[in-house]
Amino acid sequence: MEDEIDFTTGDAGAFGTNPMQCSALRTNGFVVLKGPPSKIVEMSTSKTGKHGHAKVHLVGIDIFMVKKYEDICPSTHKMDAPNIKRIDYQTGEVCEDLKLPEGELGKDIEGKYDCSHKALQINGIMRHEQTVQVWINCRSK
Amino acid sequence: MMAAALGPPEVIAQLENAAKVLMAPPSMVNNEQRQHAEHIFLSFRKSKSPFAVCKHILETSKVDYVLFQAATAIMEAVVREWILLEKGSIESLRTFLLTYVLQRPNLQKYVREQILLAVAVIVKRGSLDKSIDCKSIFHEVSQLISSGNPTVQTLACSILTALLSEFSSSSKTSNIGLSMEFHGNCKRIFQEEDLRQIFMLTVEVLQEFSRRENLNAQMSSVFQRYLALANQVLSWNFLPPNLGRHYIAMFESSQNVMLKPTESWRETLLDSRVMELFFTVHRKIREDSDMAQDSLQCLAQLASLHGPIFPDEGSQVDYLAHFIEGLLNTINGIEIEDSEAVGISSIISNLITVFPRNVLTAIPNELFSSFVNCLTHLTCSFGRSAALEEVLDKDDMVYMEAYDKLLESWLTLVQDDKHFHKGFFTQHAVQVFNSYIQCHLAAPDGTRNLTANGVASREEEEISELQEDDRDQFSDQLASVGMLGRIAAEHCIPLLTSLLEERVTRLHGQLQRHQQQLLASPVSGTVDNKMLDDLYEDIHWLILVTGYLLADDTQGETPLIPPEIMEYSIKHSSEVDINTTLQILGSPGEKASSIPGYNRTDSVIRLLSAILRVSEVESRAIRADLTHLLSPQMGKDIVWFLKRWAKTYLLVDEKLYDQISLPFSTAFGADTEGSQWIIGYLLQKVISNLSVWSSEQDLASDTVQLLVTLVERRERANLVIQCENWWNLAKQFARRSPPLNFLSSPVQRTLMKALVLGGFAHMDTETKQQYWTEVLQPLQQRFLRVINQDNFQQMCQQEEVKQEITATLEALCGIAEATQIDNVAILFNFLMDFLTNCIGLMEVYKNTPETVNLIIEVFVEVAHKQICYLGESKAMNLYEACLTLLQVYSKNNLGRQRIDVTAEEEQYQDLLLIMELLTNLLSKEFIDFSDTDRHPPPRPQYCCIKCTEPLKNKI
Repeated sequence: MEDEIDFTTGDAGAFGTNPMQCSALRTNGFVVLKGPPSKIVEMSTSKTGKHGHAKVHLVGIDIFMVKKYEDICPSTHKMDAPNIKRIDYQTGEVCEDLKLPEGELGKDIEGKYDCSHKALQINGIMRHEQTVQVWINCRSK
Repeated sequence: MMAAALGPPEVIAQLENAAKVLMAPPSMVNNEQRQHAEHIFLSFRKSKSPFAVCKHILETSKVDYVLFQAATAIMEAVVREWILLEKGSIESLRTFLLTYVLQRPNLQKYVREQILLAVAVIVKRGSLDKSIDCKSIFHEVSQLISSGNPTVQTLACSILTALLSEFSSSSKTSNIGLSMEFHGNCKRIFQEEDLRQIFMLTVEVLQEFSRRENLNAQMSSVFQRYLALANQVLSWNFLPPNLGRHYIAMFESSQNVMLKPTESWRETLLDSRVMELFFTVHRKIREDSDMAQDSLQCLAQLASLHGPIFPDEGSQVDYLAHFIEGLLNTINGIEIEDSEAVGISSIISNLITVFPRNVLTAIPNELFSSFVNCLTHLTCSFGRSAALEEVLDKDDMVYMEAYDKLLESWLTLVQDDKHFHKGFFTQHAVQVFNSYIQCHLAAPDGTRNLTANGVASREEEEISELQEDDRDQFSDQLASVGMLGRIAAEHCIPLLTSLLEERVTRLHGQLQRHQQQLLASPVSGTVDNKMLDDLYEDIHWLILVTGYLLADDTQGETPLIPPEIMEYSIKHSSEVDINTTLQILGSPGEKASSIPGYNRTDSVIRLLSAILRVSEVESRAIRADLTHLLSPQMGKDIVWFLKRWAKTYLLVDEKLYDQISLPFSTAFGADTEGSQWIIGYLLQKVISNLSVWSSEQDLASDTVQLLVTLVERRERANLVIQCENWWNLAKQFARRSPPLNFLSSPVQRTLMKALVLGGFAHMDTETKQQYWTEVLQPLQQRFLRVINQDNFQQMCQQEEVKQEITATLEALCGIAEATQIDNVAILFNFLMDFLTNCIGLMEVYKNTPETVNLIIEVFVEVAHKQICYLGESKAMNLYEACLTLLQVYSKNNLGRQRIDVTAEEEQYQDLLLIMELLTNLLSKEFIDFSDTDRHPPPRPQYCCIKCTEPLKNKI
């Protein structure tokens, strides 16, 4: 089977954010929690008292620093959702100055990169670029 | 092997060393040493004829664990070598073990129990072997009991308990490698004769103890052990003769065993002294909560007595009368202990469940009345205590459990109207109903949150989304209370109406005051919500009870108006002024009592209109910008109620009833202004809720459920589509503009489902064409426009494009959900076009798991809802589409690993969905409504096997 070349990219487009009703956010989606854009890893609702209004509890991981942010707000609240621009790269084609994330994932990517695994996926968010996910295609070895 | 190689002293030394290793703390020995020690014991237990060595060990070793292992070795070897052993040596082995235990009163408990277990296993194995007599054991035991020495009596009790466990052929039985038939046969023989003997011995002991005035601690502990033994006997799961192999396993695993002994027990159990003894015992020890559990359990078992033991109905009546007398004597005039509540309610619940109605009514009238009075009194009192438990937030909710049981008993009792004359239970029902309402309303009408120290507040509690809604958590209670309310409709319906109407007025006033405050000083903001919260909680419970009283919750069936409600309305219809009734119904914005002649209205319709008044106050508050003061919980209750009500009452099908109430048919019948008005009203409510409450998921979800109810039946849908609002809703949703696009995806799906269902209402061809142009076509057009652009591959990750695709896929799931037998042909063709395109999307979005999952989900839904209706060629089309989907999926995922910042179990969502898809495809094999007269349909298994082939490498 032929190796899958995975290079899809588009024009620069408009980065930035748009407001979203808090209740419409989804886990695995992105949101701006106190500064940097974060990937939502946990989302739950609660209310104070049986007749209270729903509050949304968000836990997000900042995609640049791999730092955890939490926020709790009324579900009617409008929050900023970053516009995601997603670019898929193949390792070897990645520009050198690409910033790898800190922590486990970063080390992991370095490791995979050395072993010349394929298909590195990059998200460009709010004029920043960040690797958030690695796909490894073992068959290509 | 080992025993043969070494002499007894060496064996003992080796075993004692191994025991030391096993008992040592983890820091002292390593894993290997431990495994080695375990191995020594295992091979010791497997050694051939270890009897002499074991006897030697038992007599000389001082290490308890080694003694324990020796007993185990004997037990296992006896069974293993049974046919090789001399009958005499088995007999002497048993005597040795028993004597051994008798002579050593200070043995560790676990060692003693293990030796007795070995004895029990020998007796059991011997019971099917005619050549060996093991009956003597009962003689020996009865001698031990009569010794009067507490230690010896305890030992006797342990022997009997071991025998009982061994013969019960339940999970307590040791695994001795014999067939299930063997266990079954042993059990049958045992329960006829020996079990009864054990019971008699136990009863004698209990009699003896119950006569004594003062029991010291030691004697009291013996007493307790025999009481537990009696409980074990009475909870015996009697194995009926001729029960097949498969049933035995099922039978033995059943929980909540009812007492159904064989005929041979007749004299023993029907002897009224036995029953009296247990009542006496309970009276004596009821303050000891541990013992009381056993004595009440014994009584509960006796209360469940049934089967061939009763020679005729007369004897059953006598037994029941006697039992009820004993029960009433025991509980009347005492203050029930907390620990007694559950036991007493089990006794009552068993009596009502097990004894047939004709037996129940055959006992003396006075006795039966006192029984029902007592039940009423207990129910109300347990209800109050349960409410208190809730306020105090107790971990162990004994009264709640007891209350549940009693309410369930009521449901069983009153559901039979053949044996009791009409109105027999009305007064009791009124009492239980009133006390339920009282416990759930705030002071002054009720006692909610009232404790001895004043009113407890629960308002600041954080409630997570996982907390079940009251209507589900208490559904059993509410069902019983609703049923009792129907029986006492004359009382309960007007009561609910007046409580609700009064609270609506208060809520209205309270909200107005808040509004004025806000207008006067918009900044101060801090309003005291205590009053409002109390009102909301009151209304919450009143709506729940009303919902359960007026209608049943049925899944898939057509719910009928409960006969009690129908009769009640018919009975009063001559006093009712229809016009005033319609006026009350049609003017939810006005106070009911402000309408002239309001007392001559149909009470059921007035109760409904009371809830419409709650709904109206809510709507007005929203219009006045007071949404932040409203309770989403109450909003949820309102739409939940309206859905339940509409399912049952709206456009009643008169063919389903013998007689129908005139007010009902005038107000909500087919072709009436009333039903057209109410549909318009409900639709308006739905639309308002979806925009105002988009942030309250549960409320939005209940709201769309109401919408589905309005359109899922053709008759109602015909009226719905005549409303202009409906068309506006459809257009608005097709535009994907706010506020509808704020709704969560399950809500959007259900909304799509409703819109599709509405499209199958009766319309002229032109209108229908227009409707589908508004609803489905935009979906198709937008979708095709997006995926057919030249640079789709490049743009596919852009936010707007992705949103468009996601919304389309969600909508497709909703469309599939709307499938019914008469629209499947149209919907299948419509969806098939998309499915082909979806496979192309799989390729484009192969690196976007959310989208991939959603695409698979569309297939899952289509297969789930449609496969059972599809004929041969269409089913084949679907199978092929699924096969292609899986091929693409497996091509893209072969050998792929995914490392994600947030890798969690969701990572395998795709595989779960695929399994669901295959399950749905396979369901065609057993649920098939398609027209298959001509050809057999394609075998789904074959297709599934083909479908899974690409996956083999993946998993």
